[in-house]
Amino acid sequence: MHDKGEAGEQGTTRRQLTTWLSSFGLFGSAILSIFSNLVFIKPRATYGQPQRFNIGKPDAFPPGTRLALEARRVCVVRDGNKLAAISTTCTHLGCIVGLSDTGFACPCHGSRFDQDGNVTGGPAPKPLPWFKISMAPNGELEIDKDVQVEPGSYLNI
Amino acid sequence: MSQATESPSTWKALTDLPNAVWRSIFRNPLPDSDYGRASTSFTNFFLHIHPVKVHQNSIRPLYTLGLGLMSFFLFVILVVTGILLMFYYVPSTTQAYDRMLDLRGSVAFGTFLRNMHRWSAHGMVAIVFLHMCRVFFTGSYKKPREFNWVLGVLLLLVTLLLSFTGYLLPWDQLAFWAITVGASIASYAPVIGNDIRFLLLGDATVGQEALLRFYVLHVAVLPAVLTMLIAVHFWRIRKDGGLSRPAEAEATETAAPPTITISVKAKELVQNKLYGLQGFVRGPFNKVGNVPDRSVFSWPNLVIAEVFVFVITLAVILCVSLAFNAPLEEPVNVMHPPNPAKAPWYFLGLQEMVSYSAFWGGVGIPGVFVVLLLIAPYVDRGNEGVGVWFSRKRLLANTIYTSVVLLNVIMIIIGTFFRGPNWEFISPWR
Repeated sequence: MHDKGEAGEQGTTRRQLTTWLSSFGLFGSAILSIFSNLVFIKPRATYGQPQRFNIGKPDAFPPGTRLALEARRVCVVRDGNKLAAISTTCTHLGCIVGLSDTGFACPCHGSRFDQDGNVTGGPAPKPLPWFKISMAPNGELEIDKDVQVEPGSYLNI
Repeated sequence: MSQATESPSTWKALTDLPNAVWRSIFRNPLPDSDYGRASTSFTNFFLHIHPVKVHQNSIRPLYTLGLGLMSFFLFVILVVTGILLMFYYVPSTTQAYDRMLDLRGSVAFGTFLRNMHRWSAHGMVAIVFLHMCRVFFTGSYKKPREFNWVLGVLLLLVTLLLSFTGYLLPWDQLAFWAITVGASIASYAPVIGNDIRFLLLGDATVGQEALLRFYVLHVAVLPAVLTMLIAVHFWRIRKDGGLSRPAEAEATETAAPPTITISVKAKELVQNKLYGLQGFVRGPFNKVGNVPDRSVFSWPNLVIAEVFVFVITLAVILCVSLAFNAPLEEPVNVMHPPNPAKAPWYFLGLQEMVSYSAFWGGVGIPGVFVVLLLIAPYVDRGNEGVGVWFSRKRLLANTIYTSVVLLNVIMIIIGTFFRGPNWEFISPWR
């Protein structure tokens, strides 16, 4: 303040610049720390059930099989030589759907799905997703629940 | 005797000891003058959250119904019982349910403490909601109290989150499926829905990670947030000029000269002064000595009212906890959801709406509700009808609020009592 007369506009500008830079630095750091906290609480590895797992040799699922692996929340379907894995987690509110004569039925809120997982009734907003199923090098079938595939895309064996 | 002659001051100090200690802690004797009553509030750490005097309207039981205080006292009960329960609880999927059984079977007062915690939690959700209704119907969110209303809405949301996170901890069927359903409702949020769900559960499904996360949120993060918000909420009550009151209750300068006692000493002190430091608040305040004083001393009037509300709250919780046991269902069975699987009751309105439309019921309509609540004081700017229940001048605002609230309440009632297996309509009277 005492040298305002001499420094004039230049002094003010320098002060403003410092203020701007430090505010920017502080604000930026705050944003950065919020972001890193979000990154921190998003787990990179999960400790629960793995999303990718083997279910055994194809022979264990003879043609015509519709077998719900309840603990894995997936239904293995074999139609001739075509294999598919359909989710059994209801798209409504996350209950486990059971097999029914016409496809799948959710015991919680009455959603119904056809053999391919399309909604045929109840509150479910989306069809049941299909998961990637592939042949692992050891000859076992591998399901990856992190990868969804188009309904109707089968693995041919 | 010899001591007395040798060192009378020491002997006197010893005999005086209890009194001296007492007086060093409580600097004022029980007051018998206005000056004393003022100092009592002013010099006591726990009492100085109060102003020295409050407006008569603020302690009218039928005006506030004590709902805000009740919410706070329920929170206090929840903190105390919650900390006690933490001594025995382990947030592990293999142990949590056993610990619940231990509370029932082998911990002294275990059942009782859990009952108190559970019923206070339900009570707090309900009372916080009723407190919001009181504030709305008396028009108390209006200028200069707009931001305190916003804080109140945030407090309601944090209260709901606290209750929701606590729901999972017993790790029984009710807990597991209610959280499964609740987290799925959250995942209907557009774009970030699935990320929210994943961050909340720490995994694709409800499991050990979710239990640990909910535990940390429930016992550390959310209580800290709630405490902070409560502190600002309380502080702003005073800075916004005390509780709202009708304009008629406001003293005007042209009114009759002081009718109520202001002690001679204080009057001399403030003769030429229009405000004290405490006067730096937004909104109306009484200019000392110039206007009819419709305020009363906080000690004892306000303090007695508060103690009364506390005793009533605690008594009700104790009675309910003695009479009803908190539910504990079968241990979690991941394969077999109950039919129907229901969210906690305060989210059943959402679940009912989700059964019609996933996005609108789970995210759209509730989101609109919350936004409406948050902006209400900035949209409804009129200054009329403040401080009166159901003022005719606020007919429109009150009608809109009532219909929005009623819609949710009706949805909750339908979801709670009228929905059976497969979420089909049932009659509760059968």
